[in-house]
Amino acid sequence: MAGSTVPSRLIALALAFAALIWVSPFAWLVTNSLDPASVGQLNWPSSISLSNFTDALSGKSGMQFLNSIYLAAGTATLTVAVATGAAYPLSRLKLPGQSVLLWTLVLLRLLPSTGVIVPLFFTARNLGLLNLLGVAIAMTILNLPFALLLLKNFFDTVPIELEEAAYVEGASLWQIVTRIVMPMSRAGIAVVWFFSFTGAWNEFLLPLIFVRTDAGFPMSVGLYAAFGLNGAVKYGFLAAFSVLYAAPAIAVYFLLRRNMNTGFAGVGVKG
Amino acid sequence: MLPAIVLIIALLYFTGWAFAFSFTDLTLTGIKSINWSWVGFQNYIRLFTREGFLGALWTTVLFTFFSALVGQSVLGFLFAASMRGSRSLLRSVVEVALMLGWLLPDIVSAFLWSATTSDTGLINKVAIIPFGLKPVNLLNDYALPIVIIANIWKGTAWSYLLFTAALDSISREVVEASKVDGANGWQRITRVMLPIIRPHIATNMLFITIWTFTYFPLIFAMTGGGPGDATSVLAIFMYQQSFMLGKLGYGAAVSVAMLLIVGVLSIFYLRMLEEPK
Repeated sequence: MAGSTVPSRLIALALAFAALIWVSPFAWLVTNSLDPASVGQLNWPSSISLSNFTDALSGKSGMQFLNSIYLAAGTATLTVAVATGAAYPLSRLKLPGQSVLLWTLVLLRLLPSTGVIVPLFFTARNLGLLNLLGVAIAMTILNLPFALLLLKNFFDTVPIELEEAAYVEGASLWQIVTRIVMPMSRAGIAVVWFFSFTGAWNEFLLPLIFVRTDAGFPMSVGLYAAFGLNGAVKYGFLAAFSVLYAAPAIAVYFLLRRNMNTGFAGVGVKG
Repeated sequence: MLPAIVLIIALLYFTGWAFAFSFTDLTLTGIKSINWSWVGFQNYIRLFTREGFLGALWTTVLFTFFSALVGQSVLGFLFAASMRGSRSLLRSVVEVALMLGWLLPDIVSAFLWSATTSDTGLINKVAIIPFGLKPVNLLNDYALPIVIIANIWKGTAWSYLLFTAALDSISREVVEASKVDGANGWQRITRVMLPIIRPHIATNMLFITIWTFTYFPLIFAMTGGGPGDATSVLAIFMYQQSFMLGKLGYGAAVSVAMLLIVGVLSIFYLRMLEEPK
């Protein structure tokens, strides 16, 4: 829309200003993480070094980084494996009432997860699962309804003729699923994996309640515990730790960005 | 198939259990963690007779209304509408800036905002001290507004993405036709675009209301619900009752109440989605 130039310049100026406001806390984070003598101000670092990052990757905090990777990758892979196994039959066998069942499950998941946490905690305590494995299993349970719905919609788009052709040529069910259905719904699987990965990567409440030792914390709880401590705030260390913690979530998004958009479209296709 | 069935049953079982808990006096530790008993609606009566719940509900309503409904969706719409159809560098810059907020883990955002709003932080340095005013510990003195601003910063990207997709789906001809008929910019937005994307608005409201109403980590990590109970939203209130005070039965009643409120709001939005005026 080519309106008069003055308002459109004003709009551009306002947009640029908004972008500046949005980015400034982030710029603060990056400059502080690089400054070995950081005091929490937005200054050009007096000297640039990676010492904060080496601090953040060693010892207890390095361990927490590995914990987070283990938790997020484990949850995502478990969710995809379990959901694929169930979504394929759901997509091929038209059971009566199955879409009602699926939507009920999805609606059920809209309830605050804080509500289900009390029974989850009791069960995990009785099974001796008050650790990261327990968090991964609990998160898989919570992810499942949405993952099922999404994957079923993707499997529905794979033409059944292809599978029939493969069946005629002697492919087993396992081969059909792994060689035809899964490659053709790559986008959907990537989306489910991404959502589960970032969900588990960001998750704070479950590990806060389930994990009781510093060495077992994922980064979310680790960072919270570190800046909750009183006394001299080590801004440089915390900033570097934050950058490391934020990086994978951002990287995964940009890697899967194209698949993501297809996936968003898939959510709305049909029930 | 089998593992999925087991886990789905587990989910149903846990949900049912959460409902059942809300009618007991179960506690986290002590004698009542083993010898608990059914207490009927006592927990629900306490929601209204004891202090805490109603206050937390009001805080949650303020938080949801200002950060999600007013902040995120209006700003997201303004961003989407003002950059509609543009392919400029500025648009990419704004998009990346918004997405950064959204992609940052909750706890990192909380750290960022606590540090930025402290009395030696960025906001004091840029916007308060240069005017000759005394530095303020913003997070202490204006806790709720700061938490609301942090959540707007974090969540606007979602509304922006949704409204961008919605505005892209409006055909150019409709907008051109209204322009030929003499509609000005404001009328084009309020009389043409908004009615067309009405279902998208309702969907967006539905999602962000549910998320914001039950949102926990950002506020908890920034303020822990304080100072006092100034930022104690329902999710934090429930966590404090269940895991800090150990009153699991009462906590379960709080979460059932949250579920009912969210359910009623959802029905309201879904009706808005279906019926045109």
